[in-house]
Amino acid sequence: MLKRATMCLFVISLLLGMSLGVYAQDINLTLWHIHTNVGAAQNTIQDAIRRFETDYPNVKIEEVQIINDEYKTKLMIAMGANDEPDIFMSWGGGPLETYISAGKVWDMTDALVGEGIYDNFLPVALDLGSVGDRVCGVPITNMVAALVFYRTDIFENLNLDIPTTYTELLEVMAVLNDNNITPFALANANKWTGSMYYMYLADRIGGPEAFYKAMMRTDGGSFASEAFIKAGEYLQELVKNNAFPRGFQSMDEDLAQSRNLLYTDRAAMYLMGSWAWGTIKAENESLLEKLDFFVFPGVDGGLGDPSNLVGTPGDNYFSVAQKCEHKEYAIKFLGYLSDENAVEMLIANGHIPPFGEDIGSKIDDPMMKKLYQAVSGSDAVQLWYDQSLPPELAQVHLDTTQALFGLEMTPEEAAQTMEEAARRYHGEN
Amino acid sequence: MKGLDHLPWYRRPGVTISLFLAPALFFFALYVLAPIPVSFYYSLFRWDGIGERVFIGFQNWRELTQDPIFWRALKNNVTLVVISILVQLPMGIALALLLTSRFRWRKLLKTIYVLPYLMSAVAIGMLWRYIYEPTFGLLNMFLEAIGRSNWILDWLGDPKVVLYSVINAINWQFIPFYMLLFMAALVGIPDELYEAAKIDGASAWKVFWTITLPLLWPTVTNAAILSLVGSLKYFDLIHVLSGGGPSHASELMATYMYKRSFQHFRMGYGSTVAVALFTIGFVLSMVFLRATRCREYEGGGKR
Repeated sequence: MLKRATMCLFVISLLLGMSLGVYAQDINLTLWHIHTNVGAAQNTIQDAIRRFETDYPNVKIEEVQIINDEYKTKLMIAMGANDEPDIFMSWGGGPLETYISAGKVWDMTDALVGEGIYDNFLPVALDLGSVGDRVCGVPITNMVAALVFYRTDIFENLNLDIPTTYTELLEVMAVLNDNNITPFALANANKWTGSMYYMYLADRIGGPEAFYKAMMRTDGGSFASEAFIKAGEYLQELVKNNAFPRGFQSMDEDLAQSRNLLYTDRAAMYLMGSWAWGTIKAENESLLEKLDFFVFPGVDGGLGDPSNLVGTPGDNYFSVAQKCEHKEYAIKFLGYLSDENAVEMLIANGHIPPFGEDIGSKIDDPMMKKLYQAVSGSDAVQLWYDQSLPPELAQVHLDTTQALFGLEMTPEEAAQTMEEAARRYHGEN
Repeated sequence: MKGLDHLPWYRRPGVTISLFLAPALFFFALYVLAPIPVSFYYSLFRWDGIGERVFIGFQNWRELTQDPIFWRALKNNVTLVVISILVQLPMGIALALLLTSRFRWRKLLKTIYVLPYLMSAVAIGMLWRYIYEPTFGLLNMFLEAIGRSNWILDWLGDPKVVLYSVINAINWQFIPFYMLLFMAALVGIPDELYEAAKIDGASAWKVFWTITLPLLWPTVTNAAILSLVGSLKYFDLIHVLSGGGPSHASELMATYMYKRSFQHFRMGYGSTVAVALFTIGFVLSMVFLRATRCREYEGGGKR
C-alpha cells in the first residue's frame, strides 16, 4: 500500500517536473484574433509570427483564431475571468475603452517610443486605440471605408449608371429587380452588416453632427431626432422595394452567404467595408475584373456631404494585456506586425495598411490605388456606430436596426428605443 | 450496526460512503449549488462583468418584469416544451416499436436513426443552416425542383416561421434519444404478456393500448420530465442556428441570458435572467413531478 502511494507520488512529481522544465525554457505568448479565413490579415499575421519566432527562438507565439462574432463574446468572458490572452485584437473605440477602464490593457506608449515603432502608425488611426495621448492598441490591418462594390458587367448589360442620389438608387434597383437580380447582397444575421446602410442614410440626411451630438449628449442631440427617424424610413423603403435577397435576415456574413450571391450573378451590389476587396481576392480572384465600387449615394435635401465615408482608420487594433508577463517580447512582436514586410504583405493581399511611410506610392494595382484614394481622401470618416458607442448601446443600435430591416419596428419606435437606452445609460432620467 | 462496532471509525460504512461521495458532492456544490445564490447576489448589481459592481437593489428585477423580450423568450420556451413533448415522445415510441419488431433492415435503420443524436449540436446547427439557406439551401431548392416554389419560406429569417424551423431541428436531434430510451423499456416487457394476448386474439392496436403503453408509462413520464427540463434550459442549437433572431423571434431564456451577460456586457441583468430561468424551471419541474407521481400510484393500484 505504502509502496504504491510512493510510486504515485514519484510519477506525479516526475510529470510536474517535466512540464515545468518545458515552460522554464520557452516563453509563450498567446495571440487571439478573428482571421479564420485565408486572406490578407491572416497571411500577414502568420508571416510576422514566422519571422518573429526565427529571430527569437526562445519565444513561441500561440495563435488562436476565433470566428468574428464569437470572438467578441469570448474575449469578454476571458477578461471577466482574468484569463485574457497576452496579445489580443479589438476594433478600438468603445469596447476597448471598457477593457482599459477595467485596468486590463497595458499602456504601451513609452514602449512603442522606446522600440522606435511609435512613428510607424498613422496618427489618425492611432487615436482610436488611445485614451488621450496614451496608446493602448495599435492599428494593424486595414484602413477601411464601407463602399458599394458592384458588378460592372451587370451594370453594363442593363445600361445602368452609378446612382449618385437615393432616387437614382431606387431606379437602379427597379431595373435590377425586373431582371431578377437582387440589388444588394446583404447577410444581416450579423447585424453590423445592415448597420452600414443605416449609418450612411443617417449621415446623408443629418450629416455627421447628428450622430456626434446624440452620442456625446450635447447641443440637444438625440437618437430620436429627425435624421435617425428618416434614416429608418428610407431603410424600410429599400426593404419594401426588394433591395435585399430572400432570407437576408438569417444569412451569415461570416459564412460568405452574401458574397455567394455576388459570385453566382444573383446580386449586383454589395455594401461592405473595403476589406471585401481582399476577401474577394482570396475567395474568387477572377471576379475582381468585373468589380468596381462607388460611394454610397446622397439623399436629396440632406445635410450630409455625399463624399463622407463610414469606416475605421485602422480596423483591427492589437493590444497587450496588463497581466502579460513578457511585455518586452509582446511589443517587439507588434513591431514585426507593423514593419515594411507587413506593409508589402497587406498591400499584395488587397489591404491598405494603417502604418508605414508613403503608402500611396507603394500601391501599384490601379483598383487598389482607387481604393486608397477613396479611403484616405475623404474629409469626414464616421467610425462604425457599434465601435464608437459603449457596448451596451451598440447592441441596442444593432438590434433596433435589425428590427427595422425586418419591418418589425417603425422608424419612430426604433429611434425612441435607442434614445431611451442612451438616456438610461447616461443616467439622464 | 452493532456488529460493526469493532471497526475503527474510518472503516465504518457511513464514513466510507461519505468519503466516496465527497469528491462528487464537492464539485456539485461548487459548480451547481453555489452559483445559484451567487447569481442572485449579482442580480442586485449593475455590473459589466469586468469593472466595478454598483449595488442597485431590485432594479434589475423590476426591469425584468417589464422586459417584453424576456416574456417573449419565456413564451418561446413554453412552445418548445409543448412541441417537444408532443412530437419527440410519440415519435420516439413509434420508432422504438418499429425497431423492436422483427424485420430485415432493422439493424441498418437503427444505426441511421441514432446518427443525429451522435452529432454535436454545433454540427447539427451548421447542417440545418445549409438545409434552410434561402437561396441555395436543400429545402428551398427541393421545393423549387418539384415545382412548389410557392411553398418556399424564409425559414430562419421570417420571425413568424423561425421558431418552428428551429424546433424542427431540435426534434430531429432528440427523437433518437427517446427512441433509445423506449427501446430499452420495450425490451423489458415480458413476452408472456404478448403471447397471452395473442392467444386471446387481441388486435395489434389493442395490444399496444392495453399492454405496451401502460407498461411503458413510467418511462414516458420520465422522458417527459427530461424533455421539460431540457427544453426550459435549451441553448445550443438555437445559438448556432438562429442566434435567437431575427429580432428575438426565436429567443429562449437561456440565449437571452447569454446575450445580456456576454454580448451586452450586462452581467447583473444576465444573472437576473438566469435566476428567473432557474426558478421557473424548478417550479415547473416540481409541479410536473407531483402530478406524474400521483398518476404512477394510480396506475399501480389498478394493476
